[in-house]
Amino acid sequence: MPTSSSSSSSFSSAASSSGNRQADVFSRLASSDPEVKLKALREVKNQIIGNRTKKLSFLKLGAVPAIASALSDSECNSILVQSAAALGSFACGFEAGVQAVLDAGVFPLLLRLLTSSDEKVVDAGARSLRMIFQSNQAPKYDFLQEKNMKFLFSLLNSENENVSGLGASIIAHACGTTVQQQVLCDAGVLEKLVILLDGSLSQREACLESLATVLKNNPEAVSRFVGLEAGRYLSSVTELTKDRYPRTRLLSCLCLVVIYNTSPSYFLNMGTKSSLVTTLLELLNDHGQSGDDAALGLSSLIAEKEDLQKLAYEANAIKNIVDILKTGSELHPKRLQGLFLSLAELCSKLEDCRCSFLSLEMLDLLVNALRHKNADVRTAACICFRNAARSVKVAVLGALSNIVLDFSSPKSTFIEYGGIKQLIELSKSMDPNARCSALRALRNLMFLADNKRKELFYSEVKAQGFVSLISDPEPTVQEQALALLRNLVDGCINSIEFVFDEDGLILDTVGKQLRKSPQAHMAIQGMYVLTNVASGTELHKEAVMQQLFPQPQAESNNFMLKFLQSHESQLRSATVWTIINLISPSSPGAHDRHVKLRDEGIIPQLKNMVNDACLDVKIRIRTVLSQSMSFGDN
Amino acid sequence: MATSKKVITRDEWEKKLNAVKLRKEDMNTLVMNFLVTEGFVEAADKFQRESGTKQIDLATITDRMAVKKAVQNGNVEDAIEKVNDLNPEILDTNPELFFHLQQQRLIELIRQGKTEEALEFAQEELAPRGEENQAFLQELEKTVALLVFEDASNCPVKDLLDISHRLKTASEVNAAILTSQSHEKDPKLPSLLKMLIWAQNQLDEKAVYPHINDLSTGQLETLSE
Repeated sequence: MPTSSSSSSSFSSAASSSGNRQADVFSRLASSDPEVKLKALREVKNQIIGNRTKKLSFLKLGAVPAIASALSDSECNSILVQSAAALGSFACGFEAGVQAVLDAGVFPLLLRLLTSSDEKVVDAGARSLRMIFQSNQAPKYDFLQEKNMKFLFSLLNSENENVSGLGASIIAHACGTTVQQQVLCDAGVLEKLVILLDGSLSQREACLESLATVLKNNPEAVSRFVGLEAGRYLSSVTELTKDRYPRTRLLSCLCLVVIYNTSPSYFLNMGTKSSLVTTLLELLNDHGQSGDDAALGLSSLIAEKEDLQKLAYEANAIKNIVDILKTGSELHPKRLQGLFLSLAELCSKLEDCRCSFLSLEMLDLLVNALRHKNADVRTAACICFRNAARSVKVAVLGALSNIVLDFSSPKSTFIEYGGIKQLIELSKSMDPNARCSALRALRNLMFLADNKRKELFYSEVKAQGFVSLISDPEPTVQEQALALLRNLVDGCINSIEFVFDEDGLILDTVGKQLRKSPQAHMAIQGMYVLTNVASGTELHKEAVMQQLFPQPQAESNNFMLKFLQSHESQLRSATVWTIINLISPSSPGAHDRHVKLRDEGIIPQLKNMVNDACLDVKIRIRTVLSQSMSFGDN
Repeated sequence: MATSKKVITRDEWEKKLNAVKLRKEDMNTLVMNFLVTEGFVEAADKFQRESGTKQIDLATITDRMAVKKAVQNGNVEDAIEKVNDLNPEILDTNPELFFHLQQQRLIELIRQGKTEEALEFAQEELAPRGEENQAFLQELEKTVALLVFEDASNCPVKDLLDISHRLKTASEVNAAILTSQSHEKDPKLPSLLKMLIWAQNQLDEKAVYPHINDLSTGQLETLSE
């Protein structure tokens, strides 16, 4: 075990020595001695394969142009192989690498390698080209030019797996338009591709990918494909959905999804549809890229198709997808997007799906997705939320009320607005439980919310809306409404202004409710509203006094005294807090308010409570009494 | 009360077995598949010549075996170079395998007592893997823990130093190469034998008949024996 001094020196030297080593091998790349150059190329290649970090650092050193020179200047097969392999590795799944490789003019150099007499050189060239074509930055391949088509077919015809795979890859990634699809089909590409279906694993997979691209949204191409050898190849692809390799199963499923979406008539058999859905659902559990692609594939399959959505629902899709989302591990954005879109589709028409989904306590996850850094994920989650919220079943709302939302990202305003509106609608429901749950959710939403959100919310409800909520026939709804109001006015002084809107309509209503001998829970929230208002300006404090002691009083309806004598410690506490804020010495009218409170018997009552059973209350009372003493009266 | 099971005598059973037709070619293919997958190059070559069974290019088996052997001997860097010569895509598209190979390299450095080199390696080569992919962090922490203990061979994670871990890594690499060559990564023979055992278990619920209890001999044994 090294001592601390040597270990720290070894750590600091690790960084610099690795940098030195990299610089050293980089300089050897430019050597005129072919042996040295070859060795350096091999070293770089072996360092970067599988190692994204090294790819980046060698990239920054300028290794790509150096290797490109080696590729163009050399005739030696070994050097060609090693440099092609290194360049291919730079381009493998690494967009910056692809760009550097293309910028260095490597593309034509690699093409040249395909005609070499040395099989290893051909392999290296074909592999590296295939890496490039898997990226969006790959050069556009003009299928419409005859010589390009000829070249493509020469690739497809090759005995060499890597070369034919390259041909298929070019098609899979470069064929985009209907015209291109047509030109390819007319040249006989389908007949060529299906031969690869019977080939090796990699040929089969390359073929499936290209088939999907050529057939997509092209009914003519689909009918041509299905017509080949009386449907034999369609059966082959269907069989492959049961293949032992997950990627083969996935690619064949995606192929069938494309065919189904383009020409559903070939899928009259319910069994095929059902097994397609279940296979995709199984593939969702794959941890790698196949799982990512399966999610998007599933959403594409069931999109707008109620019968397939039902099939998926019956196959337990919702629970499976939610379980995956809940695993807690970092999921690829493509997978998240696909999963949320699938959920969105499932919830789009089927009420059972929505209830199922919402009962699974997914809302935290959904909310996190609404804040994901990837725009596609956010959109998918938003659609999912919107579709799920179409449900009016009450059970659903129980889950809604447990949301604690924090939309701090500005981009979420749109989403948030939609959510709030929905909840406000629900707060007007006929069902008191629904009203209650909606208000609970809104109450959480307003907790520590910024002004923007509060304004947004208030503009939808307005004073009259609040009055209705606070005056709701159900006490539990009243309580939630007051709790919501409490959160609304909490925070900055501007928030207090809400209760003064329309001549203080809301504040009056609160006062009215408090004077009606309410249940304790309601009273607690009401008093906290007053506490928050009383924390504001002179005017605010005076307005609270008005509510506490309205003139003229018909009878000694001093609810404050009643609250102070309540069995509920929270109610006593809330009341004391209001008093603390009313007589806080920093405000000018505090003295007069203190006098009034004393005359109404409030301060004397507090003196009787110095030994209140609840510690919190006791402490607050002490605060009041010390404030009281500062006014000189005792 | 147990329902009476059908009793099949040894004679009857052997008659049934003899009625099943098998093709010699199928059995040869099975044997070849076993020899190839397990990497018995010379045996595969000889078997091909003697039986005429079709078989893949032996050179690829040799290459694959060289990689497997290198890992089994603890020469991981050598193994990585060989894999990359065979097919540079394998490690580029298999982050888990690449991580396990790097992990094995670190283990070998620790085993040789090259602590400073191990620390450097851990920082330069393994730590970035954890950054690139969170899924590896837990295993990474386990491996780095080896560096913390004075006596690594007696610490909680000492099984990483076990030779069996080398074999595990070697097996992983072998499978990846086989897949890349479009071969089945597992030989068929074990699956067949498992199927046999399963089938016997199933049949046991319905009948009494001679079993094969010793797979290595394939001898039929009646219960009374």
